[in-house]
Parts: sequence; C-alpha cells; structure tokens
Amino acid sequence: MKRFKPAAERSEGAVIHTHAVDTLCPYCGVGCAVTYVADADRRRILFARGRDGAANSSRLCVKGRYGFDYASHGQRLTRPLIRRESAYPKGQLTPLEKRPNKPGGPVDYDDLLPHFREASWDEALDLVASRLKAIRDSDGSRALAGLGSAKGSNEEAYLFQKLVRAVFGSNNVDHCTRLCHASSVAALMEGIGSGAVTNIVRDIARADVAFLTGCNPTANHPVAATFMKEAAEAGTQLVVVNSRRPAIADQAALYLPIRPGTDVALHNAMLHVLIRDDLVDHAFIRERTDGFEAVTETVREYPPETAARICDVPAADIERAARMIGEAKAVMFFWGMGISQHTHGTDNARGLISLAMVTGNVGRPGTGLHPLRGQNNVQGASDAGLIPMVYPDYQRVDDPEIQRRFEDAWGVQLSPTPGLTVTEMMNAAKAGELKGMYIMGENPFVSDPDVNKVRQALAKLDFLAVQDIFLTETAEFADVILPASSFMEKDGSYTNTDRRVQLGQPVLALPGEARQDWELICEIGSRMGYPMEYPDVAAVFDEFAAATQSYATLSHAALGDRGRWYPCSDPATSDGDPIVFQDSFPSGRAKLVPARFKPAEEQPDAEYPLILSTGRVLEHWHTGTMTRRSRALDTISPEGLMEMHPVDAGALGMEDGALAQVRSRRGDVRIRVRITDAVLPGTVFIPMHFREACANLLTDPRIDPDGKIPGFKFCAVSVNPANLPESRTA
Amino acid sequence: MSRQVELTINGKAVSVPVGTTLWDAAAAIGIDIPVLCHEPRLRPVGVCRLCVVDVGARTLAAACVRPCEEGMEVRTDSEEVEAHRRTLLELLLADQPDESARENTTGDDALYELARRYGIKDIPLPDGAAGHPRGRDDSSPVIAVDHQACILCDRCIRGCDEIQHNNVITRTGKGYETRIAFDLDTAMGESTCVACGECVAVCPTGALTHKAVHGLRLEEET
Ligand code: SF4
Repeated sequence: MKRFKPAAERSEGAVIHTHAVDTLCPYCGVGCAVTYVADADRRRILFARGRDGAANSSRLCVKGRYGFDYASHGQRLTRPLIRRESAYPKGQLTPLEKRPNKPGGPVDYDDLLPHFREASWDEALDLVASRLKAIRDSDGSRALAGLGSAKGSNEEAYLFQKLVRAVFGSNNVDHCTRLCHASSVAALMEGIGSGAVTNIVRDIARADVAFLTGCNPTANHPVAATFMKEAAEAGTQLVVVNSRRPAIADQAALYLPIRPGTDVALHNAMLHVLIRDDLVDHAFIRERTDGFEAVTETVREYPPETAARICDVPAADIERAARMIGEAKAVMFFWGMGISQHTHGTDNARGLISLAMVTGNVGRPGTGLHPLRGQNNVQGASDAGLIPMVYPDYQRVDDPEIQRRFEDAWGVQLSPTPGLTVTEMMNAAKAGELKGMYIMGENPFVSDPDVNKVRQALAKLDFLAVQDIFLTETAEFADVILPASSFMEKDGSYTNTDRRVQLGQPVLALPGEARQDWELICEIGSRMGYPMEYPDVAAVFDEFAAATQSYATLSHAALGDRGRWYPCSDPATSDGDPIVFQDSFPSGRAKLVPARFKPAEEQPDAEYPLILSTGRVLEHWHTGTMTRRSRALDTISPEGLMEMHPVDAGALGMEDGALAQVRSRRGDVRIRVRITDAVLPGTVFIPMHFREACANLLTDPRIDPDGKIPGFKFCAVSVNPANLPESRTA
Repeated sequence: MSRQVELTINGKAVSVPVGTTLWDAAAAIGIDIPVLCHEPRLRPVGVCRLCVVDVGARTLAAACVRPCEEGMEVRTDSEEVEAHRRTLLELLLADQPDESARENTTGDDALYELARRYGIKDIPLPDGAAGHPRGRDDSSPVIAVDHQACILCDRCIRGCDEIQHNNVITRTGKGYETRIAFDLDTAMGESTCVACGECVAVCPTGALTHKAVHGLRLEEET
C-alpha cells in the first residue's frame, strides 16, 4: 500500500532554515513588492514570492521572479581595485566584438583584472578623494562631474547630488533619466510645472479609453501591462500607437503602426480633428489652460490627410483615434521611450499634453498623463536632484533664493550655473574640459549614443572613479574601482512610476569587503574635507525630505512595509494621492505649446537605407550588467537579435538567424537577424543590452534641444549579410 | 450599501453582503475551510470539493462557490464533512509522486499540508499512476512541470489568464490522460509562456515548481 511521506516525516523535526525579507523588485519602474527568501546565512536568494504591493497585488514578471541571482554572482567585486601603472595610457581593455572561442556577454574579467591591483579601502578612498580634490583645486569645480544612478535609492541619489554640488562645487551631476524621459520631463515641467505622472497605472481600470504610444509595456513594464490587459478585457478601449508592434496591440481597439519619428504629425492631426469637430472640453480649456489659440493655429495645417501621408496610416484611423479620445469621458495617456527618445522628444510629449488638456483629461479618475518610467528609481533619483539644472524637488539652481536656502542647509557656497548633462559631459571630457569623474552604478560606455565617441571621452579623463557591483565596460577606463552594494544588500527608499515611495530592505549580506554605496559617497565627501555623517539611511531620508516638499511628510517609519504615494498629506491616515492636480497645476494653469513636425535629421538614403530603432527585451535591462548575470534571464535570452521585416530580409536574401553586418555613419556591429513583421518594412530594431552587438555603436548622438535626450529611436543604417569568423565559437 | 444576509457558521453569527461566498464569509470570521482549487486572488470554480460544508441540505455544498443565504446554518467541520475530505485527500494522494517537488523547493505544498493535518498515513487505494505515468515537461528554463503531481484544480490556468492575462495554459486530453497544456499543446519552453511564474505561485502541489536558479535546492539542515 502506498504511504504518504511528507518531508517533515522523512526526518522528524527537520527545519528548513530560510530568511525571508519583504522588499521590492530591483528592476523596473513598476515597483513590484516582493518577498525574497534567502538561505540562512544570507548568501543566496532561493526564490521570490509576490507581495501585495500597491503596484502589483502580488504579481511579478520574469525579472522580479527569476532575475535575483545576479546579486550572488561569482563576479561580484569584493575588494577595491586600483589601475596598475602598466595600464596607462588609459584605453579600452577588452574588445567589444565577439571573438572566436570567447563567449559573448558582459566584460571578460580575464581581460580586465590583470590591469588592476587590489587595494585597501583607505588607500582607494584616499586616492579618489585626493585626485578629485587636486583636479578641483587646479582646474576648478567645472572640471569635475558625477554620474549617479536611477537604480540606487532616493537616499543615495540625494547624497550623490549633494556631494557633487557641495564638495565638487559644480552642478555637473546627472543620471540616466537623461537617456530615457528627459524630454517628457522637460515638456511636463513647461506644461504643468511637474514632471511626475498625474495618475497611477492601475487607474486605467476606470478609463474609457487609454492611449498607449511609444511604449511596449508587456516587455518593459510587464506587471503594469497585466493591469492594462485586465482593463481592456473589462471594457477600456486601448488605442495603441507604435512603429514596432507591441504585444499589447493584441488587446487594442485600434492600432496605428506609424512611420518612425512622425508622432508630432499624428498628435497635431488628432488635435485638428478634436478642434474641427468640437470634441474639446471648453470649460477645462478656459479655466485651466493657456495657449489653446496657438495650438489651434498650428494644428490647422495638419488635417488627417496630411498626417496620413507623413505617418503612413489611413486618415480614417487618425480620425477614429481622435474621436475615441474626444468622445470618451475619461482617457489616460501612457507613453514610453518611443515618444521621448527622439531629437523632437519634447515636441512629442507636448502633443500628448495638449491632447489631454484640450479634452480635459487630467485630475479625474481614469484620466491623466503617465510617462512610464523605466528604472526602479528614475522618478526618485530625479526628485532627489540628480539633474544638473535643479536641486531636490526640481528647484532651479539658477534661482538665487533657492541657492541661498541650500547654502544655509549645507553650509557651503554653491554654484548658480546649471551643470552638464550626460551627453554634454562626454563632449566636455573629449574636449579636455572635464577632467575628473565619479560614476556610480551607470555604464555610459554601453548606454550612451555613439559609443566610439564615449570611448574617446572616457579615455581622455585624468581621473575616473567607478563605483559598481561588477566590472562594467565603463570600469575599463577607471583609475579606481570601488566595490559597492547591490539592491539586495541595502536599505533605502525607491519611488516608482506611480510616485509610490516604498522601502527596500537588505536580503543578503554584503560580499567580501564590498561596502554600502551611501557610505562610500559620504567617505569621499568627508575625505575631501566636507564631513558627511549620518547614523543611518533613515536619517539621510529625513534630510532629503526636509529639502523636498513633495516628500516632506514622509519618513522611513511612516512608509512602513507598503509605502505611500506622494504627495501624502498625513501618512498616518492617508495612502497618499494617486491622482493629482484635480483643481490646479503646480504652475497654476497648464501651458499648451504647439509643435511643428520636423523629420529627423538623419533620414535614410541610398547608402544607409533603413531606419534603426533601439530598445529593450522582456528579460533584460539596461546594459545587462545585472540581467546577463542572472542564470534564468540569460538562458531565456542569451543573445541580442535584430528584428527585420520579411520584405527587407527577402530583398537581401537573408533568412531567420542569418548574421548581418549593420552599419551607420558612426560604427558597425554584427548581429543575428530575427525576421518578424512586428517591425515595419524599412525599419530594423536592435536591443540595447548586448555589448557584443552594441546598438549604441550605431546610434546618433544628436540631442533634443530642450530635453537634451539623444534620439535613440531613429538613425539611418545599412544592413548586409555578414560572413562570420564566429562559427567556430565554442 | 449593498443588502446584507445573516447566517451562522459553526454557530457563529455573521452578516455579509449578498453574493458573498460561504468560504469568504467563513474567512472573515476566522474560520478556515480547507480548499485546494481556490485562493483569494482567483475566481472560485469549485472543482476540488475539499471545501464542502454542511448547509443542512441533501448534499454538501462547495463553500468557495456557494453564496450565503439568509438564515443558513452552516457547519464546516461535521464528521460527515471531515470524512468526505479525508476520502478526497486519499484519492488525490493515491497517484502523487513519492516526494513533493514543492516541499523540496518553496516548502508550501497545500495538498501535503492538508494530508498532514488529516493525519493521513496509508492510502487504501491503488496507485493510479502505476503503468500510466502522466509525464513531465522540463523544457522551460525556470519552471518544472510534473503532470503526475497535478490535481487539475485549474489554478494555474486562472493565474495565467485572469491574473497575468497571458492566456497560455489550458487543458487537454480525456479521462486519466487529462492534463494541463501550453498553447496548442507545445512544450512549455517553446510556447508563448513569458515565464512570469504566476502558475508556480498559485499551484497548490508539486506540479508546477521553480527550477533551482542557482543549481541549489532548498535543503534541510543536516
Ligand atoms: S514588472 Fe518591473 S518591478 Fe515588477 S517584477 Fe517585473 S521588473 Fe520587477
């Protein structure tokens, strides 16, 4: 007879010792709450359990569920490293391309490590502090810059910008928001005086229509996408616009596959229809906006037929999209990098703001503007002032009154001059004007446009300190590398795409001698002669909140295990405000700014006949430093593939899986082709994560004049079949 | 305010909005009714029948789907009810694998938990799997599928469709060959599965479990 043998009976009293910690997913801006269960000595995470967070209700995606093991990867940096004399003059230490018998993937440690020697913390930190100080004293504050990270906590972001401003002495501090939503933020600041979302993702359930443009939520905001699909099944009509068909288009009532870079014409034509057919909200326009006349004037030139020719979609579909928005009671607008990452990204976002404003779709349930934020803390890092023009809470550095306030708070003289953005820093380094940099948790060598230029810029720096958890491509140019804490080892708060401020807690013990990022920032400040001392991370939060009105009522204790949305009048009684600007905007009235359609500068031509767009895949994230070191994620998605339409592939005689040589005016890469009709004929798509097929060797560094964001979503390339030396790869 | 109904569960009075299930009403007053095919995030379907309770009618009612009625007198732990549950557990356990992959990974096998609670030792039934193994699917890099441990509760199907809205999992086959399937019955690793792991999270048995991400399994202390 069969007997029932539960584990507990097999060895009576056996206990499974685990260590479960309520924290957050380290990856995207959705900000899912999760419990990670680690082994008893806190070296490895064993599995994840979804937690009932405000943004996820226990749901997780593949990254949150299976992507946690990067933190205990054997390549974690555990001791400070100093570049050996023999490794000067500086340059790249490993080739970007795949080599025979070398697997692709992140930086090869065997190539890099021989060029560095281990050092004590004192030696490494003293070297960083003394070299940065020497540059400041000889070349001035503007010769130093810092790049912080949207993956770090609010507290780290706050301390980092304080270090650059108060100790380096300039406003040369930025982070990767520059590369993702800087243009959206520029348009929102100009339009309504706030860069954050006006409503949370899950309120889509109350929208009649949701306009989803330039975003691919099932891949990039997967748990948010589950709520969007849920809404669609319950009756919310989705209008999806993209030039690469996102999976969410399957749920759409209307899908507009527009030609890349033509969003301004589409938005203008939709505004044209709304105004022509009087589907606008006159009361809202009258009471809450300025500039309607100027917009009306401009969009008169964009009847749907004109836009149809520019965008290559039927005029009837443009009419229908406009009418759906005009006739609905509640409309939410979601957008992603397909809107922001253009040299006219700010104009793209202005159009969306105008669409929401003329139809009165802000400040009510089921309405609002929602730029989907990419990284887990891109909202918080921006709120904390990791931006060259503003202090925490978007307070302008060139306002003397604000400057004085921060001078009083920090006890130093501060610079009134806005600093350099990410892209400008690289130019300044290349020109020799920027001499010293401190980069924490960013990898501009892979993430910035035109990598060949970035390489020259980083090599030219007199001194570079890189603080990270792995050797990154950027660390190849470092003089000193500081081993830091992963998300899984730190305390801190993170602000998701919904403005929900939530606490992360340490699940794992720090490996080896690695140290907390926040402590390292303070060490550098203190060693440069500006004492930065805090008893704990909660105390840093308090100083940050005191300087940041939207966080003023919050503290670590008040956030608890579920967090709060900001603004939050009283965290003891309120969950915070999911919907903001019910009655007025921070700027008072919204400013509508008209935009004219301008084609991207680098149009396809005979030599470079195809349009390249870059982006992400579900399993990977940013430059792959973390996800490519996750066994699960790397197994599911081991290789970057270029998506190409069957018509283009056919014309080149290329089959699925063939190796292609892709060239732009700036560089070339080899990459395998995936044939799919998700992309439009004449366009190709390459994910940004894979250094051996580094999309940013190709991209165009030209930037948007307002947002200073590069146009990652548009450049001209040629594609040809490649013959490979690579077939012998082991 | 919606209309309320009043009833008693195990002698305790409770008032709930019309439409509330017996299972939810019991949970609200701290009475735990065993169930395998239901969890609060899912739409109840009433297939495992473990949650049956005595409502004074000719047959027992599945609490997870039965709405509360005015004046109902419900017993969740009568002898008849418990005997019924024990038989069901024995039937479910008769063809389970010898060890639970779930107990060995995330440690939360709900079927095993109930078997322990009901003190089940010997199973007086033939092993349904003898000569008819129901098979495995190890094609996904992150999720292990053991059809032998599947009790066809449909939680994974609802998790995939109604929580994550991915619509990948379904059922196929007839009789003892009935099993869950992916897309049009392709291997999980080749299906449109996006590996969100929700099916593992909602599965009550060792049928859907996480593969060891580190090559490490949760191990008992030695
Ligand atoms: S949706 Fe984003 S936050 Fe949630 S689990 Fe996935 S990567 Fe993590």
